[in-house]
Amino acid sequence: MTLHMTKTQKLLRIMGNNMVPILFLVICAFGIPLSGYSANFLASEIVIRISRNSFLIVSLLIPILAGMGLNFGMTLGAMAGQIGLILISDWGIVGIPGIILAMIISTPISVLLGWWCGKILNMARGREMVTSYIIGFFMNGIYQLVVLYGMGAVIPVRSNALLLPRGYGIRNTVNLIGIRRALDDLLLIRLFGIPIPLATLLVITVLCLFILWFKKTKLGQDMRAVGQDMEVARAAGIKVEHTRIISIVISTVFAGYGMILYLQNIGTLNTYNSHMQIGMFSVAALLVGGASVSKANIRNVFLGVILFHLMFIISPMAGKNLIGQAQLGEYFRVFVSYGVITISLVLYEVRKKRDQHYVGLQLAADQEALQ
Amino acid sequence: MKLALTRTFWFRFVAILIILVFAVVLFFIGKQHTVLIDNKTVTVGGQEIRALQLVEIQIDNKDSMELAARDRDKEDVTGQKHSVTVIYTDSNWEEYTIERTFEVPLMQEMVLLSIPTLVANPEADQSLWLENYEPPTYAVTAADREEEVIIDDLSVLLTDI
Repeated sequence: MTLHMTKTQKLLRIMGNNMVPILFLVICAFGIPLSGYSANFLASEIVIRISRNSFLIVSLLIPILAGMGLNFGMTLGAMAGQIGLILISDWGIVGIPGIILAMIISTPISVLLGWWCGKILNMARGREMVTSYIIGFFMNGIYQLVVLYGMGAVIPVRSNALLLPRGYGIRNTVNLIGIRRALDDLLLIRLFGIPIPLATLLVITVLCLFILWFKKTKLGQDMRAVGQDMEVARAAGIKVEHTRIISIVISTVFAGYGMILYLQNIGTLNTYNSHMQIGMFSVAALLVGGASVSKANIRNVFLGVILFHLMFIISPMAGKNLIGQAQLGEYFRVFVSYGVITISLVLYEVRKKRDQHYVGLQLAADQEALQ
Repeated sequence: MKLALTRTFWFRFVAILIILVFAVVLFFIGKQHTVLIDNKTVTVGGQEIRALQLVEIQIDNKDSMELAARDRDKEDVTGQKHSVTVIYTDSNWEEYTIERTFEVPLMQEMVLLSIPTLVANPEADQSLWLENYEPPTYAVTAADREEEVIIDDLSVLLTDI
């Protein structure tokens, strides 16, 4: 016997499951007319944001599959990507070769950091998200040590445009003019006046296809099993710890590549700050797309990028038009970014408890039917 | 720990080797050099070679540029092998075209290409008209003031206390 829900209950359940995307849809529905932006402008901005951020957000999917939650430790990969970019800027490698070389340099660093992060997360089972968040802060200290004191002193960096006047350490900002929009402009077409960077979108598509394929592989299935129940997976002969480490390594490597693609679009690297917020905003965008701590897919990534960044685009102008202050919009979007993560995490727990309650009711109904 | 020389090990080893070779190739083809194109009177081997009154220069397939006497311009190029096309007219308004290829040494960031020397010796070795260029010290000397590096996100809170 199945427990029947009324139509209202079903509707409420669907709304409850998609609370965050619905909330953002409502915000955007109010914000777009207030901002006064044209549809063409908004569409071109959204395309830019999709090409800029999607790769980073897709890198979060694999740890979720392995039951490790949202990988705030993706900042480790971002740091590795930035080190690659600093080195190619010093060597004067430009264009697509520069981007690929930066990715090659970032790979071993990302693998090493990901492996180390995975090891620690295995020790902090059940508290992966907060642990990875703090690892990001800790690693930032090491990154600063390397970049601020190691580069130019221990690691050879010759370019005066990169080095601080004292002769070692990297400047606050690194101009990435050599690789700026190199991938975006490789295959740029205009559709109704909207610039579409086909090459970047192609790279993102390949990554999405890889994720879909990966889920079907033996390793992908192992990760799914580990994500569902670690003890059952262990009993089935899956190396649980090893599988979890691999998921973090893959995520960190992709985050490094994502950061390189992100910065080639921006064209400037804020040496000591660029990587800090990237984890937070990527996680927020994924959650806005309707993902949860335990479940996320590619649809969530793109819906999240569109909704989250749409709010970023419209909020300053909407704030200015509403009360004459763009500052309100700035405040609002930062407030919403952190707020959405909080709401998502709370909703996840509420939903989990509600599902457990529903399973309990279902069980009771089944037993009643048997008697 | 004993290293197991299995087939998997060799596959991984070869894969890493291929990536390293690929990285080196990328370094060669992606390295950017600045070519300074100089149309100034120079003295080579005690002989003065006068600047051209007006000359059109094209590096690779980039936009061509026109230089008057004593002009200097620059072109950023990637990779090592390049071509230069020089079009000029003599005192009888007869047009001449010189095409040469040249190779920029890998670790030289900036090279100076002397157009008068190239025109005077079109068949000569590139070392005669292409030389390494080190920017003057004053152009690369560090600024007096030390740049403030902000690494603490919370520093803004500290200043208010």
